[in-house]
Amino acid sequence: MILTKVLASYTFRFMSLYVAALSIAGLLVSTAMYAVYTNNFFYSTSDSFNTEMQSFEAVYRRDGVIGVGDYIEKTTHLRRFESYYYLIVDSEYHKIAGNMAAWTPFKRYGDDWFSFQLDLVRGEPSASGQQFWGLSQTLDNGNILLVARDYNDVIYTMNLVTYVVIRSMIITIGLGILGGALLAALSVYRVDKLNQSVAAIMMSGDLSQRIDRSNHQGDFRELTTNLNGMLDRIEMLMEGMRQVSDNIAHDLRTPLTRLRNNLSKLQDLPGGERDTIAQELTEEADDILSTFNALLRIARVESGNQRAGFKEMDIKVILLDVIELYEPLMAAKSITLYQKLDHGLLINGDRHLLFQAFANLIDNAIKYTPEGGEITVALDVVENRAKVAIADTGIGIADTEKPKVFRRFFRVEASRSLQRGNGLGLSLVAAVFSLHKGDIDLADAGPGLCVNVALPGIA
Amino acid sequence: MRILLIEDDDSVADFIVDGLQQNGYEVSRASDGEQGLATAREHTFEAMIVDRMLPLLDGLSVIETLREENNTTPVLILSALGEVEDRVEGLKAGGDDYLVKPFALVELLARVEALLRRQSASHTQTTLKTADLEMDLLSHKVTRAGVSFNLQPREYKLLEYLMKHAGQVVTRTMLLENVWEYHFDPQTNVIDVHISRLRQKIDRDFDRALLSTVRGAGYMLHDPEQP
Repeated sequence: MILTKVLASYTFRFMSLYVAALSIAGLLVSTAMYAVYTNNFFYSTSDSFNTEMQSFEAVYRRDGVIGVGDYIEKTTHLRRFESYYYLIVDSEYHKIAGNMAAWTPFKRYGDDWFSFQLDLVRGEPSASGQQFWGLSQTLDNGNILLVARDYNDVIYTMNLVTYVVIRSMIITIGLGILGGALLAALSVYRVDKLNQSVAAIMMSGDLSQRIDRSNHQGDFRELTTNLNGMLDRIEMLMEGMRQVSDNIAHDLRTPLTRLRNNLSKLQDLPGGERDTIAQELTEEADDILSTFNALLRIARVESGNQRAGFKEMDIKVILLDVIELYEPLMAAKSITLYQKLDHGLLINGDRHLLFQAFANLIDNAIKYTPEGGEITVALDVVENRAKVAIADTGIGIADTEKPKVFRRFFRVEASRSLQRGNGLGLSLVAAVFSLHKGDIDLADAGPGLCVNVALPGIA
Repeated sequence: MRILLIEDDDSVADFIVDGLQQNGYEVSRASDGEQGLATAREHTFEAMIVDRMLPLLDGLSVIETLREENNTTPVLILSALGEVEDRVEGLKAGGDDYLVKPFALVELLARVEALLRRQSASHTQTTLKTADLEMDLLSHKVTRAGVSFNLQPREYKLLEYLMKHAGQVVTRTMLLENVWEYHFDPQTNVIDVHISRLRQKIDRDFDRALLSTVRGAGYMLHDPEQP
């Protein structure tokens, strides 16, 4: 089980591949070395052959067969370690002089080069199968000169090299496979441990569990940190979802219960009263429907698909239209409006959604500003960003509540009794600005609330 | 007035058919796209109400096919898809108006009436007249009983729309879509304030009020002396 896992592991495959590549490279290098070495040997030796041959020939010409015999005696004596052999035969291949026992059939390579194998040298038995390499020259009187050299030392060196290379390759491959298997086993073990923790969390469905970081080292610890981070995020999102559905259930249960109770009372009421109640019930049902519509709308805006319908528009035009629509409402509440609008900025967006978002903000400002208060709408264009500020002199929002107001169904406690609303207005606002890659944040206007919106202009 | 309703949901269809019949319309209903197309080809209707998502053949294809066949019957599209892109698609396919589900019956009735009226209104008109209120579309002059008064540009547009639909109920959404030209959902009845401002100008100094509020529906501009 563990063995198949190790063999199938990525690390092991990688190591095997690595060892194979290394072996092939080693083989190539040794082959090249071998070739260079033999080539070198034969080149340098052929030069000395020629020198030998020339001096041999010169001695023969000067001193004849006797001289050659002396010369051979002398050189073999002097150069004990360089095993050159010399032979002179007549045209019938009978030995005239030299330190080789007799002429022998040989393998001719072309020109005057050849090789042969001898069992006897100087009439004594030689190491069996000794390899010789030779050069011959036919003299004008029909006699043949032969210079030969055995190259067993070269063969010996070559065999040694081959032996070493093969041995070291076997060791390399063996160590590679062993090391690979060990490394693979280690990584399989580490991944297995992590896998088990992840699987345990997945199976239990308990997202509050975390993977123990202390069980892991190095890069695995980093991975563990990230996995835990992912779990944090998932848990937070799930919590958010749960809260939203709880809120939906809670916020809709109350009106639905009221609706149900009133409906059951309806049949017992006299005609006139029944009509009034029916009217109220319809309005109640409409409110529930509009809450659902608002939820769906936020979901659609948040899905981001609506960017497809974006068009170029001037943010200032939208603001002026919103102000124009709401201006009578402010006047009715004796609210003074201050407009500080810079020149406009072209942005890419959905004019209806942006209108809705700014309308919600202005509407809120009007709702929470007391009679005789002030509302300021400012537009500044800074570095291709439209900065819109909507400030009021209303009750403001406590710092602790500020981050919560964009949540679905969240309503500032103080406002619950003051104003009716579904607690979705600012969620939609946040979704719309985020769709337009903008930012929104809340600040204190001291007193009152200042909503700051920043939207990017056309790039 | 014969109206064709193409709607696959029985309860929605019953609700619409009842509502239209109570208001004096004669209604034929088809429950899928192909049946709807066949009925529209066979008979003549004054208006059609077409649901966007239909079995067999979707609503937009039905409308496109009819328009290709030079059928110019005004069409109101009903849809659960309410974003701007969806509306644009619907109007491009040949629809005349677009109503998002769920809707109130008064909203549907007001829009159907507006569609029928659009069909009969002549486009060469240069003056609008309701009782003693007159609007000159060329000089943008508005007078009541000969007394002229100044209107802000938006007030002028608002009054123009009301006068073009005089005698009909006009809903708040219709006003937002046609006078302000934004599809949006106001949290407050911001339109009411604009209406009351307009009312101050055209009705305050006169005995007969022309601009009235229709409870639970919207507004109507009409001559109280005409039935």
